[in-house]
Amino acid sequence: MKFKKIITISLAAAMAMTATVSAAAAELTEQNPTGNTEVTAHINGSAGNVSYIITIPDVVDFGELVQPSNNDNFYKYVDYEVKATKLEGLPDLHHIGVYVKDQNAVVKGDTDFYITNKNDPSIKFKYDVFHRPIDDTTQYTISINSDTMTGTAGYKLYDFFYEGDTLDGTLRLNQNQLYGRNITDIAGEYSGYMVFFSTVEENP
Amino acid sequence: MNNTQEKTKSKKQTIIIITLALVLVGCLVTAAVLLLNKPKEEPLNEPAKGVVGVIKDNWDTQVSSEPTDSPSQAKKGTQIPGYSSAEMNAGDMSIKLRIGNPKENHVGFYASLKLADGTVLYKSPLLSPGQGLEEVPLTQTLTKGTYDAIVEYKCVLLEDGKTPLNSAESGLKIYVN
Repeated sequence: MKFKKIITISLAAAMAMTATVSAAAAELTEQNPTGNTEVTAHINGSAGNVSYIITIPDVVDFGELVQPSNNDNFYKYVDYEVKATKLEGLPDLHHIGVYVKDQNAVVKGDTDFYITNKNDPSIKFKYDVFHRPIDDTTQYTISINSDTMTGTAGYKLYDFFYEGDTLDGTLRLNQNQLYGRNITDIAGEYSGYMVFFSTVEENP
Repeated sequence: MNNTQEKTKSKKQTIIIITLALVLVGCLVTAAVLLLNKPKEEPLNEPAKGVVGVIKDNWDTQVSSEPTDSPSQAKKGTQIPGYSSAEMNAGDMSIKLRIGNPKENHVGFYASLKLADGTVLYKSPLLSPGQGLEEVPLTQTLTKGTYDAIVEYKCVLLEDGKTPLNSAESGLKIYVN
């Protein structure tokens, strides 16, 4: 009898052990690789995802500037492009609003666009930003920065409603700012950086 | 009890012990086989890690990737991801938000997640094209409510990782449940 009890207990223990190993092995499947039971809930698909992609120009490059012989307007123009490369997952009746400002622009402070001498930041020249192509820009065209910059986002540049929408814009620097300056003092490399702000906005 | 009975009993005990031993050995062998056959975890290519959080090397914007321009038509530029919103629960120390540098770019990104009041919730190390996060660790949690936030992308030359280029900011709402 004693042996029967031992056998019964031993067999029960052995079967329990086998069952435990099997269960543990069964939990580690591809469907549940961590072996944990997870309760999931519905999550809004667009939240946290990339809804759109805007392509901005890498740099502001006016190339070589020329010192004029008099103080007349002497403009140099360069073009730039901002594009709604992808527009997906936007709410209905919404679009992408894009704004732009100089990297150092401050509301109620200096809101102009500048290129700055890399060796001497105190030497800098203003430039203007237009939201139209070079061919449509004359000396009488009003730049977006002639307005007052009221928000930290910058000046309103463009509204993108459809994928592929492209803004062909123009930057203009009046080289008469170089007139009368000692060329030795102002010679050097200049750089300026624009900050583009984009946000989802309701259609008008 | 006579000799024959004792011998029979002894035989029975021996058989039982052998059977028991065989069952135990069988169990052990089964256990060993199951454990040894467990699929080995493949070593992953260790992704670059930021201060906290995991930065993947094969990050994708998950928006369709068909080119909209032929290379000759497309002007040089930098692709900036934009967002509508992100969600989290009060008390969470991370948020699901796909911050990264699209693989089509040729510049580096330093990405930051900030609230409109300037509070910095996350700052990334240099993100090369194709690198990004799917879940962003936060420097602090947020209480229930709706917040205006921006993802700031400071663009730099990849060659030195510091020469600045034009930058971009994407405004979004953060909903804290």
